[in-house]
Amino acid sequence: MDFPCDDNVLVGLTHADDAGVYRVSDDVALIQTVDFFTPVVENPRDFGRIAAANALSDVYAMGGVPKTAMNLVAFPSKQMDLSVLRMIIQGGIDILHQSGTVLMGGHSIEDTEIKYGLSVTGFVHPDRILTNANPRPGDCLVLTKPLGTGIMSTAARAGLVPEDLYTKLVKQMAELNKAPAEIMTRFNISACTDITGFGLLGHLAEMIHGTGTGICLGANQIPVMEKAAEFADMGLVPAAAYNNRDFRQGMVTFDEAVNRSTRDILFDPQTSGGLLLAVHPDDAKALVRDLTAGGVKCAALIGSVTPGPEETIVIHPSHS
Amino acid sequence: MELDARGLNCPEPVIRTKTAVEKEKPAAVSVVVDNLASQENVQRFLESQGFNTSLSNKGQDFFVFGDREKIPETIPSAVKEEGEEAPEKILVLCSTDRMGYGDDDLGKKLMISFIKTVNEMGKDLWKLVLVNNGVKLAIEGSDVLADIQALEKDGVSIMVCGTCLTHFDLMEEKRVGETTNMLDIVTAMHLAGKVIKM
Repeated sequence: MDFPCDDNVLVGLTHADDAGVYRVSDDVALIQTVDFFTPVVENPRDFGRIAAANALSDVYAMGGVPKTAMNLVAFPSKQMDLSVLRMIIQGGIDILHQSGTVLMGGHSIEDTEIKYGLSVTGFVHPDRILTNANPRPGDCLVLTKPLGTGIMSTAARAGLVPEDLYTKLVKQMAELNKAPAEIMTRFNISACTDITGFGLLGHLAEMIHGTGTGICLGANQIPVMEKAAEFADMGLVPAAAYNNRDFRQGMVTFDEAVNRSTRDILFDPQTSGGLLLAVHPDDAKALVRDLTAGGVKCAALIGSVTPGPEETIVIHPSHS
Repeated sequence: MELDARGLNCPEPVIRTKTAVEKEKPAAVSVVVDNLASQENVQRFLESQGFNTSLSNKGQDFFVFGDREKIPETIPSAVKEEGEEAPEKILVLCSTDRMGYGDDDLGKKLMISFIKTVNEMGKDLWKLVLVNNGVKLAIEGSDVLADIQALEKDGVSIMVCGTCLTHFDLMEEKRVGETTNMLDIVTAMHLAGKVIKM
């Protein structure tokens, strides 16, 4: 397709990035993104929080600061009480406050099922944009949230997740990627993305696509939500995880010792997942230390970018 | 045992299989689903329960066959015991520190007795919401502080109105529960199975 474009488009549609970036001046570029979905949890306010954290995440993943937002709402107002919608929007507002983003307006339509999300605009200096492309060979990979939200949500729908773990799941999905985004600006980062529907391996595949580099991961170093492996072994794996696997398995080589539930978790689609950072090896330890000290408790060094073989992701039990 | 789980979305085929396997404890089972993801998930569930499995496909029907030699006495379940019903989610709203009208001294005694007895609701008791004079039950020196703390430890969510604590200048005195606002209270009432107002 012939997409409209001009010279000020700094990040466009070509590399399936998290958001678009447009240069306004030599000092300021606009980051624009939009995301909305159907309810992922039962509580309307929690759903609002999760949808907002998810929408804002794309701005953080580009190295930017979110500034303004607009609500996108689809709601069956004839079947459902408007108080539910108010709670969803209040959840979104909670998170906008946390992120320091202002709400400028929005648009709602009548629909048969609830959908909610936001269009978000942020600022970034044109020289400090972080894309999901071109990670440097030798860089270390750091992940800021544990994996498993897709499997845990499936298990929750089956009524099998204990309340304390469910609370943790909701809290994690509503957690902004603001803290890691602020901390990473102090370090030498070559690429960044947030983990969402394609799962860790899907987003890693996008990161190295066309760059001539490969990836090496240590499965045991990757943070995973409690009980996610157990639920995967019970067959509570979302269909999208299998789709992610079928789409990307040509690029992925697992060591025999990596068990089946771990493989599923690496392909598990994430709702409002963490940031994935490619950081210079000299900075890696300090980055993880600062993330942990800054409240990003699960931040972990999970692997590295290799000079080759290109377009190949190798997963060992542990990464040296 | 045969099970038709066609037309059902994930995770429903696994849940149906799990329920049936737990109830009937079959040595052999055949499940038909209408997509590959459900087929793989049902296969994994059966393998986790000690079945040997095989697969076959016929058009849009995807089959999983399982058989096992040993039938376990009970199948471990992550949370729910078999036959256990979901809790009723009762929300108790206390807008006073005494029960009923008339004699205030009697009212205070009755409230103490009520709080000490409310745990008889067991797992059905979901939230205790304290508003207006009710917040005085959750502060330093309250006769039922230890009882409310015990409820919280048992997993009952204690919500204490922040506006009320501020009004009485008791914010620093609160010793139990989560300080909350009207929106959270309304949300909780909305989600509760039953609301009891004191």
